[in-house]
Amino acid sequence: MLTIQTVADVWSRHLMTIRTIEHLQMFSLALILSIIIGVSIGIFIYMKQRTANPVLNFLNIVETIPDLALIVLLLPILKLGAGPTIAACVLYSILPIARNTYTGLKGVDEQYTYVAEAIGLSPRETLLKVKIPMSLPLIAGGIRIALVFCMGVVTLGGLVAAGGLGTVLQNGIQLYQKDAILVAGLWTGILAVFLDSFAGMIEKKLQERYGTW
Amino acid sequence: MQSKRLFDRIDSIRFTGITKRYGNSFAVKDLDLEIKGGELLILIGPSGSGKTTTLRMINRMIEQDSGNVTINGLDTKDVDPVRLRRNIGYVIQNIGLFPHMTIGENIGLVPKLEGWEKKQQLERIKTLLNFVSLPPEMFMDRYPGQLSGGQQQRVGLARAMAMDPPLFLMDEPFGALDPILRKQLQKEFLKIKDEINRTIVFVTHDIEEALVLGDRIAIMNQAELVQVGPPEELIFNPANDLVADIVDTQRKFKHMDTLRVKDLMSPFENKYVLEGNTEVCDAVDEMTKREIENAFVFEGEKLLGEVTMVDLMKCKSKSQKLIDIARPIKTFQPKDSVAFALSELKNSGEYLAVVMNSGEPVGILVSDEVLLKLI
Repeated sequence: MLTIQTVADVWSRHLMTIRTIEHLQMFSLALILSIIIGVSIGIFIYMKQRTANPVLNFLNIVETIPDLALIVLLLPILKLGAGPTIAACVLYSILPIARNTYTGLKGVDEQYTYVAEAIGLSPRETLLKVKIPMSLPLIAGGIRIALVFCMGVVTLGGLVAAGGLGTVLQNGIQLYQKDAILVAGLWTGILAVFLDSFAGMIEKKLQERYGTW
Repeated sequence: MQSKRLFDRIDSIRFTGITKRYGNSFAVKDLDLEIKGGELLILIGPSGSGKTTTLRMINRMIEQDSGNVTINGLDTKDVDPVRLRRNIGYVIQNIGLFPHMTIGENIGLVPKLEGWEKKQQLERIKTLLNFVSLPPEMFMDRYPGQLSGGQQQRVGLARAMAMDPPLFLMDEPFGALDPILRKQLQKEFLKIKDEINRTIVFVTHDIEEALVLGDRIAIMNQAELVQVGPPEELIFNPANDLVADIVDTQRKFKHMDTLRVKDLMSPFENKYVLEGNTEVCDAVDEMTKREIENAFVFEGEKLLGEVTMVDLMKCKSKSQKLIDIARPIKTFQPKDSVAFALSELKNSGEYLAVVMNSGEPVGILVSDEVLLKLI
């Protein structure tokens, strides 16, 4: 049974405060990069429709590579440390974000883009003032999926000396410390659930604000 | 990036040899049409007749395959479409207010993009909301989804007016509203139209709306312009069966056979009477004083004819007597049928007639007015 005492013990012995900070740092860096790259790709393939299928297919292939394999493949290029883990996160997260951005932009009701054009908005203004705001709920949905992916991949990073809570799990497995495995596992889970519901809240707000009536 | 206005007022919009085809079929075929500055021109016709295509070629939402559209002599092809559209107000049936912006943001969108100052934007939004009878403090911060269809359409109109354009394009703006609301908005719109005094091109499929609102009506069918003219011309001189069918002369004006001139004439007033031996310059003064543009010239009891202010102004020798320049005018009996009277008027190209009852003038028949009473 887990007592508060054992939790506190594991927490201090495995430097879990620092590990949590490392974990969240990797996670947020990866997520921010994914959002920037994913949304850009989404907008790009929307504007150059012919590239949409090849790009999305390619990203689908990336998505099918097992995460552990992807991290190992990235090791020779990015060396030990947080690099391969963050890169793997980003590679996984681009697809849901780019795909949702693309779908969102495509899904904006034509009457709005028509009116925007007709009252004298340039294509760029139409994109910035009408299409992107109206796609925000769907883009947020994509980000939320990416967030869950990232949480998993960052934890795996413990295997390749990336730091973070994965290290605690890894140590627990190596030293056969059930308590450490349990505490780190639960804590990672709680963080993931918390972040996901936070993202869910934002998504809902955006839906209310920007969703079509 | 505040751009200069393209035109402060519209003198004319001219379509010359406009053709637009989609695949093998024509959307608009060899269209020549002139829209005069300050008028409200209605484009009407069955669906697929090319009326909306014609409208959309004015602000280049659709580009013609051949021919030119010129506004005040300026070929629209030579103007950046974004700039052109910011100089033209645009209202459509489904309104298209942006759901993620408040009413204020919707109206102020283009002014904001034009780089207006915040205060100036706010001022404009408030003025416009007041103009369309929506209290700004109540509506500015609401979202379009919180408004009724009629309110939304008013906001749509306010948005079109944001940059105070000299030209408005309206694509069935009242089409989606229920009949009572539509009547009400039409009534308000007529008021607004007089107040803003702008050139308006208006697409509709509702002939009653066309007859009420239009200064002139252009009837289109199968990509071609069939007839263009003022409402009464279409009703009394339809170019073909289709026009007659659209203006529905047969059905709607059937009861005209039973109507008599006396039912529709305006009472005769003495201010319209001038004596035949009055000199032209005296007549001008007199008519100005009486605020009339037309006068009937009498010699004692006998009606000699009609003079208009314009006639008198054009008259070279101011010492001429009215008796010499009065133009003959049609007269009718009170019991004549309206249909007969109107077609007589139409044939002679007149719009005024005097109604005489056994030598006494009793009324004035005005073709426009007759029409309005019938609708």
